[in-house]
Amino acid sequence: MKHAITKKVDLNNGDYLMEVEAPNVAEKFQPGNFVILMTREKGERIPMSVQKAEDGKVSLFIKRLGKTSKELDRYKVGDSFFQVIGPLGIAPEMKKYGNVAFCSDLVCGHAENYAFCKGLSEIEGNNVISIQTFPSEGDIYPESELTEHLCDEFYLTTVDGSKGRKGHYLDIVKELLEERKIDYIFAGGDLSKLRDLGELTKPYLIPTIITVRQIMIDGTGMCGSCRVFVDGEMKLTCIDGPMFDVHKLNFEDILHRVGMYKGEECKAMTAFEKQ
Amino acid sequence: MEKINKVSVPMREQSPSERIKNFKSVPLGYSEEEAKTEAQRCLQCPDPVCEAECPVSIKIKDMIKEIGDGNFKEAFLIAKRDNPVPAIAGRVCPQEDQCEGVCTMKNIGDPINIGKLEAFIADWAMENKVTEEINIKDKKEKVAIVGSGPAGISCAADLRKLGYQVSLFEALHKAGGVLQYGIPAFRLPKEIVEEELSCLEDMGVDIQLNRIVGQNVTCDALMDDYDAVFIGTGAGAPKFLGIKGEKLMGAYSANEFLIRTNLMKSYKFPEYDTPIIVGDKVAVIGAGNVAMDAARCAIREGAKEVYIVYRRTINEAPARNEEIHHAIEEGIKMLELVNPVEILGNEDGWVSGLELQKMKLGEEDSSGRPRPVPIENSNYRMEFDTVIEALGTIPNRLFLSKTTYLKKDPRDRILVEHNLVTNIQNVYAGGDAVRGNATVILALGDGRKAAASIHKYLGEKANAQTIF
Ligand SMILES: Cc1cc2nc3c(=O)[nH]c(=O)nc-3n(C[C@H](O)[C@H](O)[C@H](O)COP(=O)(O)OP(=O)(O)OC[C@H]3O[C@@H](n4cnc5c(N)ncnc54)[C@H](O)[C@@H]3O)c2cc1C
Ligand SMILES: Cc1cc2nc3c(=O)[nH]c(=O)nc-3n(C[C@H](O)[C@H](O)[C@H](O)COP(=O)(O)OP(=O)(O)OC[C@H]3O[C@@H](n4cnc5c(N)ncnc54)[C@H](O)[C@@H]3O)c2cc1C
Ligand code: SF4
Ligand code: SF4
Ligand code: FES
Repeated sequence: MKHAITKKVDLNNGDYLMEVEAPNVAEKFQPGNFVILMTREKGERIPMSVQKAEDGKVSLFIKRLGKTSKELDRYKVGDSFFQVIGPLGIAPEMKKYGNVAFCSDLVCGHAENYAFCKGLSEIEGNNVISIQTFPSEGDIYPESELTEHLCDEFYLTTVDGSKGRKGHYLDIVKELLEERKIDYIFAGGDLSKLRDLGELTKPYLIPTIITVRQIMIDGTGMCGSCRVFVDGEMKLTCIDGPMFDVHKLNFEDILHRVGMYKGEECKAMTAFEKQ
Repeated sequence: MEKINKVSVPMREQSPSERIKNFKSVPLGYSEEEAKTEAQRCLQCPDPVCEAECPVSIKIKDMIKEIGDGNFKEAFLIAKRDNPVPAIAGRVCPQEDQCEGVCTMKNIGDPINIGKLEAFIADWAMENKVTEEINIKDKKEKVAIVGSGPAGISCAADLRKLGYQVSLFEALHKAGGVLQYGIPAFRLPKEIVEEELSCLEDMGVDIQLNRIVGQNVTCDALMDDYDAVFIGTGAGAPKFLGIKGEKLMGAYSANEFLIRTNLMKSYKFPEYDTPIIVGDKVAVIGAGNVAMDAARCAIREGAKEVYIVYRRTINEAPARNEEIHHAIEEGIKMLELVNPVEILGNEDGWVSGLELQKMKLGEEDSSGRPRPVPIENSNYRMEFDTVIEALGTIPNRLFLSKTTYLKKDPRDRILVEHNLVTNIQNVYAGGDAVRGNATVILALGDGRKAAASIHKYLGEKANAQTIF
């Protein structure tokens, strides 16, 4: 199957949006699912969150990071990817949660934030609060790709305070928790901030479900690479997650393991840049 | 009477010092002359006991006769009639426990190298572009097959030959199951797997990759849209020991290690993008085929020392003799009668070694092998950079969690009747999904058996419909 790229838009200096044909994925996608992408046959299988799935196409937010994502950047509208595989992972039920928030501070989190806001706001009885954090004004995504038009309450923050509220989504969550009852929190993005979010919501006993990023290969529960420990029990991020209750996770392990291939990735990058 | 040749024609192989630098086939294959000489050793027994032990009942005696007479095409067609993938089975079958294990020649000398001859004849056909002639009379009934391992492949081949419209759904981006992602190229070159799979496509089997049944195709949709379904999803999920330290970097399941190596070709990194990290000193826990494969991959991917860590002795190891023999030739060391109790790590979160407990052999257990018994206060530590757990595999939870209505045993193996039908009347299953960790040829045999059952079921259904 051909996976033609139908749209490519720069979101900021580092991130861009790609829309790609993947009818099998789009048909079954639910917020919380992810895909695995291979640019070409010799490429890696890289997991990616999905922002939108419509008309047989999925939209991804991609960060220019390592070899694969930089190589990906060379693809233009009209080019095709080797594989777009999914949807993968368990999607949390789209139901009435009440006062429900989604927080994000990185590409993958922002993509999920979008998908969740859309899904949650379609259900009666939800008051959907969306919080998006960017480092600075220049990093903020175009309005159409932000969640403001999809949610009931929208907070935009920049870490340096150049636009919107100054600070991180953590600061907003803290305020919200102090002033009213929040029923449920979802979040995605930087792992260490997700850990902090867990610390923050724990005393309030608020269910806090976050996206865990671990290194994956197959995404179908066959390799065991994406293992994490939930309440001491081994779980696989790809088939038991990728969303888990933050209060049950062992974060030290997660933060360690995700960096396992740093050295090798640098080698791949150097080899790639020489080409 | 001609003099009986007691000694088999040796297989030429890449030398150990050479082959540990590459992933090319270790055996170099018989030449036509060598194959003929080996085949001519066969006694052509009136009661060919070898055939009774072949799970797919290849007419071994006739195949060997034709090879001996130099009628390679005939020999190939005989093999192919009962085994859709002779080039694969000839290479990976545990022959010593099957056809070769009972060969009459064993009483007086070496058994006939049946597997090597089977592989030879299949390779010969491939090289000479000899194929089976198949006339397919199309039927309208549709059958869905889940999983493209040996069970799925053989079921698809047989049903298609009978004229059914066959769709094969595979979760990964390449077909072949363990043949593709598990067994390394130096034992089973991937061109062979691809060639034998391309025969399926030529026959008109619709192979759909990246279709994860239960995820992007629902099981209900399969049952509604197809007249019958065969489940050959294997037992591909890794088992872990559950000891301390499995979260450490440098700790792998054999599955991950082999998938990176074989499916993603990490041994060609950075030409291929997927990396692997193999330290200088590697421990592989377990002593089955999977463990030997992981150890032999590790040595080829740059490890200086590789140890098989096993709680019994190598005499009890479940791996094929040939694999153990090859591994030892390649310098892999056997650390026997030890059981890992903890994977040790350094402050950066990387594996630094193993804590091992010494064992001794006790009474026989249910597997007929002596039970390993721990020796009190015998723990000691050894340094390692990489630890690979090769403890066997279990059925994949993904598929099972979406098909809770299928009856399973307590170990999550799908329960079937003798004709391989599950508790749902048009759903059949076979291979590792039913047997747990078995073999390529047993999976293949199941696929064929299920195809026959499905044919019978659909035939009866069609007849019933014409009556009413
Ligand atoms: C469920 C999930 C959703 C994700 N969603 C997005 C997304 O929407 N947008 C996005 O840009 N990225 C997303 N990622 C991360 C993305 O998969 C990695 O950034 C990507 O693999 C990097 O590849 P690279 O070659 O560009 O970088 P590399 O140089 O290979 O890696 C850079 C860093 O990315 C991480 N990483 C590398 N390989 C993997 C892998 N196979 N799986 C997970 N993490 C890896 C590691 O921390 C690594 O240090 C997601 C990851 C997961 C698990
Ligand atoms: C490393 C290793 C070495 C081995 N060596 C030998 C050997 O030398 N000799 C020997 O005889 N046996 C060997 N075995 C065992 C042998 O490979 C297996 O018994 C055999 O492959 C089982 O075949 P199968 O068709 O049942 O399943 P598999 O080969 O496991 O194939 C199952 C397929 O189903 C796919 N699948 C799973 N779930 C889904 C889903 N939901 N949707 C779609 N597709 C799905 C999987 O991706 C896979 O491709 C070895 C096994 C391993 C792991
Ligand atoms: S398929 Fe296996 S058991 Fe049968 S003849 Fe070939 S090697 Fe022997
Ligand atoms: S048992 Fe051995 S000697 Fe007899 S027919 Fe079979 S292969 Fe030949
Ligand atoms: S990615 Fe292989 S088990 Fe999750």
